[in-house]
Amino acid sequence: MRYNEKELQALSRQPAEMAAELGMRGPKKGSVVKRRLVKLVVNFLFYFRTDEAEPIGALLLEHCRVTQEEPSGFSISFLEDPERKYHFECCSEEQCQEWMAALRRASYEFMRRSLIFYRNEIQKMTGKDPLEQFGISEEARFQLSSLKA
Amino acid sequence: MKLHQKSVLRFFRGYRTQAPDREGILLKKGARNTSYQRRWFILRGNLLFYLEHQADHTPLGLILLENCQVEPRLGATEPFAFTIRTPGGDGRAYKLAAENREELRAWLWALAGATWTRLAVLLRPLEAQYRELCQAAGQEPGSPPEDCGSPATPRTLFSFQELHEHFGKEIRMLQAVHRQFQEASDNGGSRSRAGGGEAGAHQLLMSGD
Repeated sequence: MRYNEKELQALSRQPAEMAAELGMRGPKKGSVVKRRLVKLVVNFLFYFRTDEAEPIGALLLEHCRVTQEEPSGFSISFLEDPERKYHFECCSEEQCQEWMAALRRASYEFMRRSLIFYRNEIQKMTGKDPLEQFGISEEARFQLSSLKA
Repeated sequence: MKLHQKSVLRFFRGYRTQAPDREGILLKKGARNTSYQRRWFILRGNLLFYLEHQADHTPLGLILLENCQVEPRLGATEPFAFTIRTPGGDGRAYKLAAENREELRAWLWALAGATWTRLAVLLRPLEAQYRELCQAAGQEPGSPPEDCGSPATPRTLFSFQELHEHFGKEIRMLQAVHRQFQEASDNGGSRSRAGGGEAGAHQLLMSGD
Protein backbone atom coordinates (compact mmCIF):
# COMPACT_ATOMS: atom_id res chain seq x y z
CA MET A 1 0.00 0.00 0.00
CA ARG A 2 1.47 3.30 -1.11
CA TYR A 3 1.76 6.24 1.20
CA ASN A 4 3.63 9.49 1.02
CA GLU A 5 6.48 9.55 3.49
CA LYS A 6 6.56 13.34 3.43
CA GLU A 7 2.97 13.43 4.73
CA LEU A 8 3.93 11.23 7.65
CA GLN A 9 7.06 13.24 8.32
CA ALA A 10 5.05 16.48 8.29
CA LEU A 11 2.62 14.94 10.76
CA SER A 12 5.47 13.86 13.03
CA ARG A 13 6.52 17.51 13.28
CA GLN A 14 3.09 18.62 14.50
CA PRO A 15 2.62 19.53 18.17
CA ALA A 16 2.54 16.30 20.12
CA GLU A 17 0.11 15.25 22.80
CA MET A 18 2.97 13.41 24.49
CA ALA A 19 6.67 13.22 23.74
CA ALA A 20 9.40 11.57 25.78
CA GLU A 21 12.46 9.40 25.59
CA LEU A 22 11.41 5.85 26.43
CA GLY A 23 12.89 2.40 26.19
CA MET A 24 11.33 0.61 23.23
CA ARG A 25 11.35 -3.01 22.16
CA GLY A 26 9.75 -4.36 18.99
CA PRO A 27 7.49 -7.41 18.81
CA LYS A 28 10.04 -9.73 17.17
CA LYS A 29 11.54 -12.46 19.34
CA GLY A 30 14.95 -11.51 20.60
CA SER A 31 14.56 -7.79 20.01
CA VAL A 32 16.49 -5.53 22.34
CA VAL A 33 15.34 -2.48 24.27
CA LYS A 34 16.52 0.72 22.60
CA ARG A 35 16.21 4.33 23.70
CA ARG A 36 13.83 6.13 21.42
CA LEU A 37 12.16 9.52 21.32
CA VAL A 38 8.49 8.57 21.26
CA LYS A 39 5.95 11.12 20.09
CA LEU A 40 2.17 10.90 20.08
CA VAL A 41 0.55 13.03 17.35
CA VAL A 42 -3.20 12.67 16.75
CA ASN A 43 -3.73 8.89 16.35
CA PHE A 44 -0.15 8.10 15.32
CA LEU A 45 2.76 7.07 17.50
CA PHE A 46 6.11 8.09 16.01
CA TYR A 47 9.46 6.95 17.25
CA PHE A 48 12.85 8.50 16.51
CA ARG A 49 16.45 7.67 17.21
CA THR A 50 17.27 10.07 20.01
CA ASP A 51 19.61 12.21 17.89
CA GLU A 52 17.62 12.30 14.66
CA ALA A 53 14.99 14.70 13.36
CA GLU A 54 13.06 12.25 11.17
CA PRO A 55 11.13 9.35 12.69
CA ILE A 56 12.22 5.79 11.93
CA GLY A 57 8.73 4.44 12.37
CA ALA A 58 5.04 5.14 12.87
CA LEU A 59 2.20 3.12 14.36
CA LEU A 60 -1.47 3.86 13.78
CA LEU A 61 -3.20 3.65 17.16
CA GLU A 62 -6.55 2.22 16.13
CA HIS A 63 -8.09 -1.02 17.42
CA CYS A 64 -5.18 -1.44 19.78
CA ARG A 65 -4.86 -2.46 23.39
CA VAL A 66 -2.57 -0.72 25.85
CA THR A 67 -1.54 -2.94 28.75
CA GLN A 68 0.62 -2.30 31.77
CA GLU A 69 3.65 -4.57 31.71
CA GLU A 70 5.96 -4.13 34.68
CA PRO A 71 5.95 -1.51 37.41
CA SER A 72 6.66 1.25 34.94
CA GLY A 73 6.20 -0.16 31.46
CA PHE A 74 3.39 -0.75 29.00
CA SER A 75 2.80 -2.54 25.73
CA ILE A 76 0.71 -1.82 22.67
CA SER A 77 -0.84 -4.71 20.77
CA PHE A 78 -3.45 -4.82 18.05
CA LEU A 79 -6.74 -6.56 18.58
CA GLU A 80 -6.38 -9.08 15.78
CA ASP A 81 -2.83 -9.97 16.78
CA PRO A 82 -2.57 -9.83 20.58
CA GLU A 83 0.73 -11.72 20.75
CA ARG A 84 2.67 -9.09 18.79
CA LYS A 85 3.47 -6.47 21.41
CA TYR A 86 5.43 -3.25 21.18
CA HIS A 87 7.01 -2.73 24.59
CA PHE A 88 7.82 0.62 26.17
CA GLU A 89 9.71 1.37 29.37
CA CYS A 90 9.03 4.54 31.31
CA CYS A 91 11.11 6.11 34.05
CA SER A 92 8.29 6.08 36.61
CA GLU A 93 4.88 4.61 37.35
CA GLU A 94 3.46 8.12 36.96
CA GLN A 95 4.89 8.57 33.47
CA CYS A 96 3.62 5.12 32.55
CA GLN A 97 0.07 5.89 33.65
CA GLU A 98 0.16 9.22 31.82
CA TRP A 99 1.23 7.55 28.57
CA MET A 100 -1.28 4.74 28.86
CA ALA A 101 -4.15 7.16 29.35
CA ALA A 102 -3.01 9.38 26.48
CA LEU A 103 -2.62 6.43 24.08
CA ARG A 104 -6.09 5.13 24.89
CA ARG A 105 -7.60 8.56 24.25
CA ALA A 106 -5.73 9.00 20.97
CA SER A 107 -7.73 6.61 18.83
CA TYR A 108 -10.10 8.25 16.36
CA GLU A 109 -12.59 5.44 16.86
CA PHE A 110 -12.41 5.85 20.63
CA MET A 111 -13.06 9.57 20.27
CA ARG A 112 -15.99 8.93 17.98
CA ARG A 113 -17.48 6.40 20.43
CA SER A 114 -16.94 8.88 23.25
CA LEU A 115 -18.67 11.64 21.36
CA ILE A 116 -21.68 9.42 20.68
CA PHE A 117 -21.72 8.30 24.32
CA TYR A 118 -21.60 11.87 25.73
CA ARG A 119 -24.16 13.05 23.22
CA ASN A 120 -26.53 10.29 24.22
CA GLU A 121 -26.00 10.83 27.95
CA ILE A 122 -26.41 14.60 27.70
CA GLN A 123 -29.56 14.17 25.70
CA LYS A 124 -30.94 11.81 28.33
CA MET A 125 -30.09 14.22 31.13
CA THR A 126 -31.18 17.48 29.53
CA GLY A 127 -33.60 16.45 26.82
CA LYS A 128 -31.48 18.42 24.36
CA ASP A 129 -29.07 17.25 21.68
CA PRO A 130 -25.72 18.95 22.37
CA LEU A 131 -24.69 18.71 18.72
CA GLU A 132 -27.56 21.02 17.72
CA GLN A 133 -25.47 24.02 18.73
CA PHE A 134 -22.83 22.94 16.20
CA GLY A 135 -25.45 22.39 13.56
CA ILE A 136 -24.24 18.87 12.89
CA SER A 137 -26.78 16.73 14.71
CA GLU A 138 -27.62 14.91 11.50
CA GLU A 139 -24.04 14.09 10.59
CA ALA A 140 -24.02 10.41 9.78
CA ARG A 141 -20.71 9.62 11.48
CA PHE A 142 -22.09 10.61 14.90
CA GLN A 143 -25.33 8.72 14.76
CA LEU A 144 -26.18 6.44 17.64
CA SER A 145 -26.43 2.77 16.85
CA SER A 146 -29.89 1.28 16.66
CA LEU A 147 -29.30 0.01 20.21
CA LYS A 148 -30.32 3.25 21.91
CA ALA A 149 -30.55 2.79 25.68
CA MET B 1 10.55 5.63 7.85
CA LYS B 2 8.57 2.49 8.42
CA LEU B 3 4.82 2.80 8.63
CA HIS B 4 3.56 -0.35 10.32
CA GLN B 5 1.14 -1.27 7.59
CA LYS B 6 -0.64 -4.03 9.47
CA SER B 7 -2.03 -1.53 11.93
CA VAL B 8 -3.26 0.65 9.10
CA LEU B 9 -4.75 -2.20 7.10
CA ARG B 10 -6.62 -3.41 10.14
CA PHE B 11 -8.12 0.01 10.56
CA PHE B 12 -8.96 0.08 6.87
CA ARG B 13 -10.79 -3.21 7.02
CA GLY B 14 -12.68 -2.03 10.09
CA TYR B 15 -13.23 -5.63 11.06
CA ARG B 16 -15.69 -5.62 8.14
CA THR B 17 -18.41 -4.58 10.57
CA GLN B 18 -18.25 -0.83 10.41
CA ALA B 19 -19.40 1.20 7.46
CA PRO B 20 -16.81 3.72 6.34
CA ASP B 21 -17.52 7.43 6.71
CA ARG B 22 -17.80 7.76 2.96
CA GLU B 23 -16.91 5.74 -0.10
CA GLY B 24 -17.30 5.99 -3.82
CA ILE B 25 -15.68 6.54 -7.17
CA LEU B 26 -13.35 9.45 -7.69
CA LEU B 27 -11.01 10.17 -10.56
CA LYS B 28 -7.42 10.52 -9.50
CA LYS B 29 -4.61 12.07 -11.46
CA GLY B 30 -1.49 9.94 -11.29
CA ALA B 31 1.78 11.28 -9.98
CA ARG B 32 3.71 10.45 -13.13
CA ASN B 33 1.00 9.40 -15.55
CA THR B 34 -1.05 12.57 -15.75
CA SER B 35 -4.27 11.02 -16.97
CA TYR B 36 -7.15 10.54 -14.54
CA GLN B 37 -7.69 7.02 -13.25
CA ARG B 38 -10.96 5.78 -11.84
CA ARG B 39 -10.44 4.65 -8.24
CA TRP B 40 -12.65 3.51 -5.39
CA PHE B 41 -12.09 5.80 -2.40
CA ILE B 42 -12.85 4.94 1.21
CA LEU B 43 -12.81 7.53 3.98
CA ARG B 44 -12.36 6.12 7.43
CA GLY B 45 -11.58 8.51 10.24
CA ASN B 46 -8.76 10.83 9.21
CA LEU B 47 -7.47 8.46 6.55
CA LEU B 48 -8.47 8.35 2.91
CA PHE B 49 -7.76 5.07 1.15
CA TYR B 50 -7.99 4.40 -2.57
CA LEU B 51 -8.38 1.06 -4.26
CA GLU B 52 -8.16 -0.10 -7.82
CA HIS B 53 -11.46 -1.94 -7.44
CA GLN B 54 -14.18 -1.72 -4.80
CA ALA B 55 -13.77 -5.38 -3.83
CA ASP B 56 -9.98 -5.24 -3.37
CA HIS B 57 -8.71 -6.48 -0.03
CA THR B 58 -5.77 -4.08 0.10
CA PRO B 59 -5.77 -0.42 -0.89
CA LEU B 60 -3.43 0.91 -3.54
CA GLY B 61 -2.65 3.86 -1.37
CA LEU B 62 -3.38 6.08 1.57
CA ILE B 63 -3.71 9.83 2.04
CA LEU B 64 -3.33 11.35 5.52
CA LEU B 65 -5.91 14.06 5.92
CA GLU B 66 -4.60 15.80 9.00
CA ASN B 67 -3.75 19.45 8.30
CA CYS B 68 -4.71 19.14 4.66
CA GLN B 69 -6.46 21.77 2.62
CA VAL B 70 -9.31 20.51 0.51
CA GLU B 71 -10.54 22.87 -2.15
CA PRO B 72 -12.40 22.79 -5.44
CA ARG B 73 -10.16 23.25 -8.47
CA LEU B 74 -11.55 25.47 -11.15
CA GLY B 75 -10.00 25.62 -14.57
CA ALA B 76 -9.12 21.91 -14.48
CA THR B 77 -9.47 19.70 -17.53
CA GLU B 78 -12.00 17.59 -15.62
CA PRO B 79 -15.21 19.08 -14.24
CA PHE B 80 -16.02 18.66 -10.52
CA ALA B 81 -12.30 18.69 -9.76
CA PHE B 82 -10.78 19.30 -6.36
CA THR B 83 -7.40 19.17 -4.71
CA ILE B 84 -6.23 17.73 -1.42
CA ARG B 85 -3.18 19.76 -0.55
CA THR B 86 -0.93 18.12 2.01
CA PRO B 87 1.11 20.19 4.47
CA GLY B 88 4.80 20.90 4.20
CA GLY B 89 6.52 23.00 1.57
CA ASP B 90 7.03 20.12 -0.82
CA GLY B 91 3.79 18.44 0.14
CA ARG B 92 1.97 16.60 -2.58
CA ALA B 93 -1.27 17.97 -3.99
CA TYR B 94 -3.65 15.16 -4.90
CA LYS B 95 -5.73 16.07 -7.91
CA LEU B 96 -9.10 14.39 -7.84
CA ALA B 97 -12.43 14.77 -9.55
CA ALA B 98 -15.93 13.68 -8.65
CA GLU B 99 -18.38 12.27 -11.14
CA ASN B 100 -21.01 14.96 -10.66
CA ARG B 101 -21.83 18.07 -8.65
CA GLU B 102 -23.58 16.21 -5.82
CA GLU B 103 -20.66 13.87 -5.35
CA LEU B 104 -18.24 16.80 -5.33
CA ARG B 105 -20.19 18.61 -2.63
CA ALA B 106 -20.55 15.48 -0.52
CA TRP B 107 -16.85 14.64 -0.73
CA LEU B 108 -15.73 18.22 0.01
CA TRP B 109 -17.97 18.22 3.02
CA ALA B 110 -16.87 14.78 4.27
CA LEU B 111 -13.16 15.51 3.81
CA ALA B 112 -13.34 18.89 5.51
CA GLY B 113 -14.83 17.31 8.60
CA ALA B 114 -12.62 14.24 8.74
CA THR B 115 -9.68 15.34 10.82
CA TRP B 116 -8.80 14.07 14.26
CA THR B 117 -8.30 17.65 15.34
CA ARG B 118 -11.88 18.58 14.45
CA LEU B 119 -13.20 15.58 16.33
CA ALA B 120 -11.15 16.60 19.36
CA VAL B 121 -12.59 20.12 19.19
CA LEU B 122 -16.13 18.70 19.22
CA LEU B 123 -15.43 16.17 21.92
CA ARG B 124 -13.91 18.48 24.50
CA PRO B 125 -16.97 20.63 25.31
CA LEU B 126 -19.25 17.60 25.31
CA GLU B 127 -17.09 15.76 27.78
CA ALA B 128 -16.93 18.87 29.98
CA GLN B 129 -20.69 19.33 29.81
CA TYR B 130 -21.30 15.69 30.71
CA ARG B 131 -19.01 15.87 33.75
CA GLU B 132 -20.69 19.09 34.91
CA LEU B 133 -24.12 17.51 34.58
CA CYS B 134 -22.99 14.44 36.53
CA GLN B 135 -21.53 16.62 39.25
CA ALA B 136 -24.73 18.67 39.49
CA ALA B 137 -26.80 15.51 39.68
CA GLY B 138 -24.47 13.93 42.25
CA GLN B 139 -23.92 11.12 39.79
CA GLU B 140 -20.78 9.12 39.07
CA PRO B 141 -19.73 9.85 35.46
CA GLY B 142 -19.77 6.80 33.22
CA SER B 143 -17.27 5.85 30.55
CA PRO B 144 -17.60 5.36 26.83
CA PRO B 145 -17.74 1.68 25.84
CA GLU B 146 -14.49 -0.18 25.24
CA ASP B 147 -13.41 -1.42 21.83
CA CYS B 148 -13.99 -4.95 20.45
CA GLY B 149 -17.41 -6.21 19.66
CA SER B 150 -19.08 -2.83 19.47
CA PRO B 151 -22.23 -3.12 17.36
CA ALA B 152 -21.96 -1.91 13.80
CA THR B 153 -23.23 1.60 13.38
CA PRO B 154 -25.69 1.58 10.54
CA ARG B 155 -24.97 4.32 8.06
CA THR B 156 -27.97 6.61 7.92
CA LEU B 157 -28.56 8.35 4.65
CA PHE B 158 -29.90 11.84 4.57
CA SER B 159 -31.04 13.82 1.62
CA PHE B 160 -28.82 16.68 0.68
CA GLN B 161 -31.64 19.07 1.55
CA GLU B 162 -31.77 17.83 5.13
CA LEU B 163 -28.03 18.18 5.46
CA HIS B 164 -28.30 21.57 3.80
CA GLU B 165 -30.60 22.84 6.52
CA HIS B 166 -28.03 22.04 9.15
CA PHE B 167 -24.73 22.98 7.64
CA GLY B 168 -24.85 26.76 7.59
CA LYS B 169 -21.80 28.54 6.36
CA GLU B 170 -20.11 25.57 4.73
CA ILE B 171 -23.13 25.20 2.49
CA ARG B 172 -23.08 28.89 1.69
CA MET B 173 -19.45 28.45 0.69
CA LEU B 174 -20.27 25.49 -1.50
CA GLN B 175 -23.16 27.35 -3.07
CA ALA B 176 -20.84 30.18 -3.93
CA VAL B 177 -18.45 27.69 -5.51
CA HIS B 178 -21.40 26.24 -7.41
CA ARG B 179 -22.09 29.68 -8.80
CA GLN B 180 -18.49 29.79 -9.96
CA PHE B 181 -19.03 26.49 -11.75
CA GLN B 182 -22.16 27.88 -13.37
CA GLU B 183 -20.25 30.89 -14.58
CA ALA B 184 -17.49 28.67 -15.85
CA SER B 185 -19.84 26.44 -17.82
CA ASP B 186 -21.76 29.45 -19.07
CA ASN B 187 -18.51 30.80 -20.42
CA GLY B 188 -18.24 27.68 -22.53
CA GLY B 189 -16.69 24.52 -21.02
CA SER B 190 -14.95 23.77 -17.78
CA ARG B 191 -11.78 25.54 -18.68
CA SER B 192 -12.50 28.92 -17.10
CA ARG B 193 -9.81 31.49 -16.54
CA ALA B 194 -7.74 29.95 -13.77
CA GLY B 195 -6.66 33.26 -12.26
CA GLY B 196 -9.90 34.97 -11.37
CA GLY B 197 -11.92 31.81 -10.78
CA GLU B 198 -9.54 30.11 -8.44
CA ALA B 199 -8.68 33.23 -6.54
CA GLY B 200 -12.37 33.91 -6.08
CA ALA B 201 -13.14 30.45 -4.80
CA HIS B 202 -10.10 30.50 -2.57
CA GLN B 203 -11.27 33.80 -1.09
CA LEU B 204 -14.67 32.32 -0.35
CA LEU B 205 -13.05 29.36 1.40
CA MET B 206 -10.92 31.66 3.52
CA SER B 207 -13.68 34.06 4.48
CA GLY B 208 -15.89 31.45 6.15
CA ASP B 209 -16.10 33.40 9.40
